Amino acid sequence: MTATTTNGLARAREICADRAKVVRELRESGRRTIGYLCLHPPVELMTALDLVPVRILGDMNEPVTLADRVMATAVCPFLRSVVDLGLKGKHGSHDGIVGAHTCDTCANMVSQWRDFIDASKFSHLIDIPHTDDAAAVQYLATQFRSFRTHLEDLAERSLSDATLREAILRHDELRGLMRELYDLRRPDPPLLGSVEALQVGISVFTLPVQQGIHLIREVIAEVKGRTLEPRPKRARVLVWGPIYDDAALYQLIEDADASVVTDDTCVGSRAFSADVGPPHDMNALARHYLVDIRCPRTFRQSQSSGAPKDYDADLESRFGYLRSAIERWNVDGVVLQSVTYCDTHGYEVPNLRHYLDRLQIPSIYVEHDYSTRSIASMKTRLEAFIETLE
Amino acid sequence: MGEREPDPGHGRKRAINRLKTLYPLRNQVQQDYLDALQAAKEGKPIVWAMLNLWQGDIPLKAMGLNVVYPENYATLLASTGSAERYLDEAEADGFPSHLCGYARSTLGYSARMMKQLGGSIPADAPLGGLPRPWLLVGSGIICDARFKWFQAEARYFDAPMWCLEMPAAGGVEARQSDTETVQVRFLVEKLREFVSFLEERVQRKMDWDRLDELIDLTVQIHEVAWQINELRKATPCPMHSTEFWASMPPALFLAGDMKATLNYYRDMLREVRERVDAKVAGISCAEKYRLILAELPPWHSLGFFDALAERGWNFVCESIAYHIPRPPDFSRIADPLEKLARLSRNYVYDHYQTASQPAPDAYVVAAYLKMGREFQADGFFLHPVHSCRAATSSLRAIQHKLLETCDIPSLWVEGDIIDRRIFDPREALARADAFEETMLHYRRRRAEGARRVAVDGPPRG
Repeated sequence: MTATTTNGLARAREICADRAKVVRELRESGRRTIGYLCLHPPVELMTALDLVPVRILGDMNEPVTLADRVMATAVCPFLRSVVDLGLKGKHGSHDGIVGAHTCDTCANMVSQWRDFIDASKFSHLIDIPHTDDAAAVQYLATQFRSFRTHLEDLAERSLSDATLREAILRHDELRGLMRELYDLRRPDPPLLGSVEALQVGISVFTLPVQQGIHLIREVIAEVKGRTLEPRPKRARVLVWGPIYDDAALYQLIEDADASVVTDDTCVGSRAFSADVGPPHDMNALARHYLVDIRCPRTFRQSQSSGAPKDYDADLESRFGYLRSAIERWNVDGVVLQSVTYCDTHGYEVPNLRHYLDRLQIPSIYVEHDYSTRSIASMKTRLEAFIETLE
Repeated sequence: MGEREPDPGHGRKRAINRLKTLYPLRNQVQQDYLDALQAAKEGKPIVWAMLNLWQGDIPLKAMGLNVVYPENYATLLASTGSAERYLDEAEADGFPSHLCGYARSTLGYSARMMKQLGGSIPADAPLGGLPRPWLLVGSGIICDARFKWFQAEARYFDAPMWCLEMPAAGGVEARQSDTETVQVRFLVEKLREFVSFLEERVQRKMDWDRLDELIDLTVQIHEVAWQINELRKATPCPMHSTEFWASMPPALFLAGDMKATLNYYRDMLREVRERVDAKVAGISCAEKYRLILAELPPWHSLGFFDALAERGWNFVCESIAYHIPRPPDFSRIADPLEKLARLSRNYVYDHYQTASQPAPDAYVVAAYLKMGREFQADGFFLHPVHSCRAATSSLRAIQHKLLETCDIPSLWVEGDIIDRRIFDPREALARADAFEETMLHYRRRRAEGARRVAVDGPPRG
């Protein structure tokens, strides 16, 4: 493995510039890696078996040229990018892949990987229920146990509860540090830029957990040593939506004189807003991944009784966590972004904007095709929106 | 109001041979909408339900509730040319235009009903319209829209919602030894919760004997529906896809009186069998090409299939998601909820379990390869739907695997289930001519391959 010469934010930039190189270096140093899709595969199980979980991402700058062989155009452009990179061999070599039934398109990804990209290595699909009550959590725990057994076969050793507990504690530590890092965006102007935060987030999705912890600590120390910029920007913005893993949108907003001070995306705060916590076992993992991760792919509501629906309570149960974020980061406006054909987020948009209206928080909805070109086309709308923010 | 058999003495001959036994089945569906309107007038509760593979339908019927199906109603909006204004209403209310066409048209309908008409049914709604719901029963079955759409309806209605579950079919993971046990246990537990929820909402206890009786009736209906479809493997195929789609709601949604439905399907089985014996095709001219459609049709342009039928294109099978497998044997199961769980799960898993293994892994792809072989398809009509991920995401994989492993070509025609502005039937027809050449080419290739196997034995390696 090549010795790392950079650290902190410079190291995060370097990792984001070439994640496949990081994977290659890990493997050259004898580590085994597992690629995983979306947020629902439990990384703790992989870590506990000494397999490095590496989040599979797309590339907004890479034209999709091969994915048409596997997927139609009217499906998630992010997953099309993932397949395209897979067919081009650009994800780096992994010992296996794991996906989850997070949405209609992602549910097919593992099968499509086996049928078109690589059937020779370890692969596993985790079924995730749509509801989040006790029965659903128990069902997910059975799915995780099945995944654990499959992983143990790959690792050629069994996993003890003590080792699992240790892995959960390490990942909780990392989540806690990411929350601490995000808190550095609370001052006005924020100490940490949005692109920098994104790069750190992507880096910890790429590194073994202990290295991720080390990196965040370096970044926190580096950022705390900064002096504030002389002038706060016009507005403080929260970005909401499904996966967003490129700097272009954040840069566009920052250039329009607004600071992206926090986010609710699955490469951002959704991944670390809550810990697994005690008792640090399989059931706690299932509860965390089903209940704590606030992806709209899971059906949540304020009531399970047959009484008439209370719309306000329903909105609060679905989006109340955003009220907390808006207050904590002193947000002036919300940019709802989504890739075209993301149904689970698309259905949320009118209800969420209604909720934000009630909080008197301005919002805008923008859709893109997971290319930097389509982000650039949003410039005028976003500038106009930011000009309206006080 | 009911659908009547057309007078054969008027107009030109239909390109698709309509089954006489279809009409009473269609009337079952229409009667359900009319009954719901009458019930609403009498102040009775109305349930809006998604396709739920009978997990919801049967308990709701056992409770004596009137149920309507907005996704079925949306096909009616499309086929009567009424959908576009509601699509526009939904988009004006902020719903992205790529969302399910069924969802957007009824979200637009709900917006109009509740925001513009104070809760009244739009006067120009087909079949008298859908009355406002008192309960919404969504599901996680087959697609995300089935619960996200009803969740989004919360903006318009104060009806509580329930979301039924269905594990994803998956790939090899679905064939692990304990999968069935685990999934059935989960589904039974969720069904118990659903029954408790219903009892609280209706303020009445479940009639378990009635529930059991309706499950048995459903199984009988499914058995006959399955037999009808098996007969379609005959050459020529006796029943065109448009007849299948028109006849499926009483089995798929349990529309209408179920005892009557069973008798109507038995009549249909008899008529289809007579056609097979007499070698009568589902189209009025000679069957030149056998086609399969995947996955959802353009409901707004079903007349398009008449134009293809005139060219000798017989659509012999279609839409995996609408095909009911042969029901399992329940004779040793006492708990009606376990029967219900197994009946529902079997629908999702049967296609995968019975498809050829081990490859391809994607169950939808495997199921279509099996369908292509068993129904002796000359070609597939692939219809990627702008507004449906579940029906679209696997179509490219199906296209390539069909050609690679079965020598069956596909015609790729983009469109939508509801929005006719996206579908261009003239362009599709223009491509049909060239595709006939392609189908003939691959028919010869398949025949040569079969001859080689007969002479040399199966390929080695």
